[in-house]
Amino acid sequence: MLALFLLQQCLIGLTNGGLIALVALGYTMVYGVLRFINFAHGDLIMLGACAALGLVAPLGLAATGGPPSLATWLGVVAMVLLCGLFCGGLNVAVDRFVYRPLREAPTLAPLVSAIGVSFIFMNIGLAWIGPADRGFPQVVPAASLLPGNVVQFGWKDLLVMVVAMPLIVGIMLLMRTTRLGKAVRAVAQDRTAAALMGIDVDRMVATTFFLAGFLGGAASVIAGLYTNTISYQMGFQNGLYAMTAAVLGGLGSIRGAVAGGLMVGLVRALSTAYAGERWAGAIVFAVLIVVLAFRPEGLLGHRAKEKV
Amino acid sequence: MAALWNWIGQRWEVVALALLAIAPLFVPALGGALGGQVTTLFIYCILALGLNVMVGYTGLLHLGIAAFFGIGAFMVAILTVPLFPFQIGWLVATAVSIAVTAGVGFALGGPVLRLRGDALAIVTLAFGEVVKVTLRNLEQVTGGMKGLNPVPPPGAGVTVAGTDLGRAFAVDPRWFYYLVLAALAGVVWAMRRLESSRLGRAWAAVREDEPAAAALGISATQVKLSAFAMSAAVAALAGCLYAATLSTTADPNAYDFNRSILVLCAVILGGLGSIPGTLLGVAILVGFDTVLIPAADSLIQQLSGAADRSSLLSLASWRLAIFGLALVLVMRYRPAGLIPSRRLAAEWGHGRR
Amino acid sequence: MLMAVFGCRPADPGVVRIVSSLPRTGPAKQQTDSIVRGIRMAIDEAGGHVGPFRVEYLDLDDSTVAAGQWTSEAEAANARRALQDPDVVACIGPLNSGAAKVSMPILNFGDLLMVSPAATAVGLTKPRLGEPGEPEVYRPVGRINFVRVVPADDLQGPLSAEWVRRQGIRKVYVLDDGQVYGKGIADLFADRCREIGIEVLGHDAIDARAQEFKSLMARIKSSQPDLVYFGGTVQSKGGQLAKDMFSAGIDAVLLVPDGCQAQAFIDSAGAAVLDGRCFVTFGGLPPERLTGKGAAFVDRYRREWGESPDGYAVYGYEAAGVVLRAIRDAGVKDRLAITSAALAIGDYDGALGHWGFDENGDTTLGVLTVSVVREGRFEFAETIRTSDMAAESPAE
Repeated sequence: MLALFLLQQCLIGLTNGGLIALVALGYTMVYGVLRFINFAHGDLIMLGACAALGLVAPLGLAATGGPPSLATWLGVVAMVLLCGLFCGGLNVAVDRFVYRPLREAPTLAPLVSAIGVSFIFMNIGLAWIGPADRGFPQVVPAASLLPGNVVQFGWKDLLVMVVAMPLIVGIMLLMRTTRLGKAVRAVAQDRTAAALMGIDVDRMVATTFFLAGFLGGAASVIAGLYTNTISYQMGFQNGLYAMTAAVLGGLGSIRGAVAGGLMVGLVRALSTAYAGERWAGAIVFAVLIVVLAFRPEGLLGHRAKEKV
Repeated sequence: MAALWNWIGQRWEVVALALLAIAPLFVPALGGALGGQVTTLFIYCILALGLNVMVGYTGLLHLGIAAFFGIGAFMVAILTVPLFPFQIGWLVATAVSIAVTAGVGFALGGPVLRLRGDALAIVTLAFGEVVKVTLRNLEQVTGGMKGLNPVPPPGAGVTVAGTDLGRAFAVDPRWFYYLVLAALAGVVWAMRRLESSRLGRAWAAVREDEPAAAALGISATQVKLSAFAMSAAVAALAGCLYAATLSTTADPNAYDFNRSILVLCAVILGGLGSIPGTLLGVAILVGFDTVLIPAADSLIQQLSGAADRSSLLSLASWRLAIFGLALVLVMRYRPAGLIPSRRLAAEWGHGRR
Repeated sequence: MLMAVFGCRPADPGVVRIVSSLPRTGPAKQQTDSIVRGIRMAIDEAGGHVGPFRVEYLDLDDSTVAAGQWTSEAEAANARRALQDPDVVACIGPLNSGAAKVSMPILNFGDLLMVSPAATAVGLTKPRLGEPGEPEVYRPVGRINFVRVVPADDLQGPLSAEWVRRQGIRKVYVLDDGQVYGKGIADLFADRCREIGIEVLGHDAIDARAQEFKSLMARIKSSQPDLVYFGGTVQSKGGQLAKDMFSAGIDAVLLVPDGCQAQAFIDSAGAAVLDGRCFVTFGGLPPERLTGKGAAFVDRYRREWGESPDGYAVYGYEAAGVVLRAIRDAGVKDRLAITSAALAIGDYDGALGHWGFDENGDTTLGVLTVSVVREGRFEFAETIRTSDMAAESPAE
């Protein structure tokens, strides 16, 4: 019984962790190329979720109790693609008009601009869906796939896995094996050198913003379908945990963001289970402080050479 | 004449503070709700000057200043509210609170000094969240989400020339106005002195080039720790004043990440490391939120007399976007801030990355 | 014009101004819209005049967009503004008990009458039931200036426990949002449960900013309660909690207090999720059960706004009615006289029935309504009275 309880909590933690990892990738990729934490990423995902809510009816989706049909799965895939394109496009536009003019500015200027963008996004969300929590239709049911009522692993949890896993693996392969990925990594290592090698730096940065936004858009669809609630303030909490995950894993490291995301999800679930919901948030952040005190570069990060 | 202008240019904030000191004589509204709002603004100015020590002078990005603000407020409340046996005077409590909070800053600084730049920033953010949750959960000590109240006004129970000071503070916002203005003037004066002191120059040296500073025999560890502690102490002072003006600590959510971010934006927007810049940044960002928007909205309400206010028409429903746009535009056209500090401006001018 | 904005106009002897200080943005807006409509209807009914005075009304917001709920700063600013405006004779509000703790000590200095339509924490008025020093700490001048038309939580919490016992439920799990109202009522509920022999399996607090509560629900599920109580409001994730509770497969009913009695709660949780297994308690009678003046108000509200009033509309109407009666009784534009006149109201014939204020400024009404959510609406289930509890509860 105790073991089953632990298993249940780990399942919940890993599912949440998958979602957090998807968001954390957005932070870590942008950090990799531009060396700044994109504070607007959480709110970008909030806007994606608003778009997803708007897409439910046009895609012919509706709340259901039974196992999802093929049409439902296709609808969900379409939603992921459309919201991914929406968030990716928005992210590229923001980079073009807000961050690109600041490439040579003091290091904190893009940070403040990102905070500004985050406020603008929140206001758009507020005008879009209103101030209260909005229910997101239960397109994919919560009904458990496992026999019995002790450990639950429902369609919704499966959904998180089947959407998040391919995307995470895909982005890893893309960065590792393709020419595009190599170019982006070259920009991340040294922007000037990459430019000298003939890489179009601005295009690679824009590509990174698009990929980060696309993953964020997918995450927003999952967040809507998984928690079934969206609000204009949801970006904050999502962003905070994902940011923590990215730093925990090592800023700039793709594998680190994934490991960090899963770890944040697990720590949160287990702290709720054994220390109480009221301490869960604090424990996640305390773990981060302790880990960084011993490993300043994060779990999987590289020790950056200091530029002297 | 030119000499006078030059003097005003150099002592910008002295002139501004003097004008603010005589303002209540000419602006009767400062005896009303406006007085309370402007007082809040001054408190944010103190908080921002505290953050400026870390971010501006020493170059360490800090995203958790509100935690120290909160610790200061709760500490002074614990020492003064009727719920606990201490109930010492507000001034003494403030002194103790500042000392304790500086100690906390020192203690946090120790283990995380190895971190650089953004990792340090995230740790301060995490620390802020841990403090917030802890304040919320330690109900026996902090009252949890109820907060601690009532924090007696400074001079409660003291009667001077037939005036009960406690009552005077509670009823007439001008008392708090002058108290907080005096504290702000004191902090500005102290910061001016610090800038040109040995310690101030050590902060700058560590910010500009840590290895070079170390080669000159400056202990980066000590210098950074002192910045942590100084920052925390000034933030605690702001917290003590905040709790006193509100007569409560407010709930711990008042000391969350949003507040840290607001103050950080004010410091960067105004100009890192620049005292007049920091004050201007707060005046613009916080003033917009606490003074301008409520005033504009009640004006709209009185003019239209609408039965049900249309949410899209009220300015308040677009304040986030206006705020965000202001941040983006200022950074676009004045990336070093509105009034950059001379030292930092020179540095950026030389094409550092 | 600027003078008018900042509340520093000279006194006008022919005008009495009533302000309200309520969260007008964020999830509570629907509740406060109801209250403000009720207030306006009461003033309109009086023809905009009371005695020799013309009545003006100003609707102040104690929330900010950034916070999405009331803030101490906004509430304190509203209180100071009311205090400094010589025409203001009464303040209706606030909605939240936490906000009341901020404004009560400020307004007490002016003996300015406060009538809350919704703040229910016991410590605001009742000696010994709250924390040490309450409620005296809110009365620096030593006189009462705060009254409320809504029954306090010492009615709602224990009577809810009584209802639970009558359902034959033996095991409950208690959650709260950690706020003044939510935690206060959850504590009172849990204490009473233990007194009458209902097992409290656990008591945890949630973070109103959390996105989901799946692990919490898995934990609750493993303790197998018959009922989950949530002390909180629609602003503090009541809807999400209900959703996660039922999707975790917890076979228990959910009981929530009046802070969740808003359509926004049902909308955010989903009507199907709550259907038949979510119960809501509410101090006083539901609007559709009112008789006499109350029924007349409900009719007029339907005509004027095209929808049925919720409980908060009635309390807003009643609060404004009490203010007008106090001004009429006092007959002079004097804050202390008006506050004293309000406290002296012993028999008020209003929309809620015949009631009065006791020596603490609390209503003498002692009835609790339990509703059940069915087909996306709150449906009346039953009422419980304080007298029922006294008669049936085991010896304390």
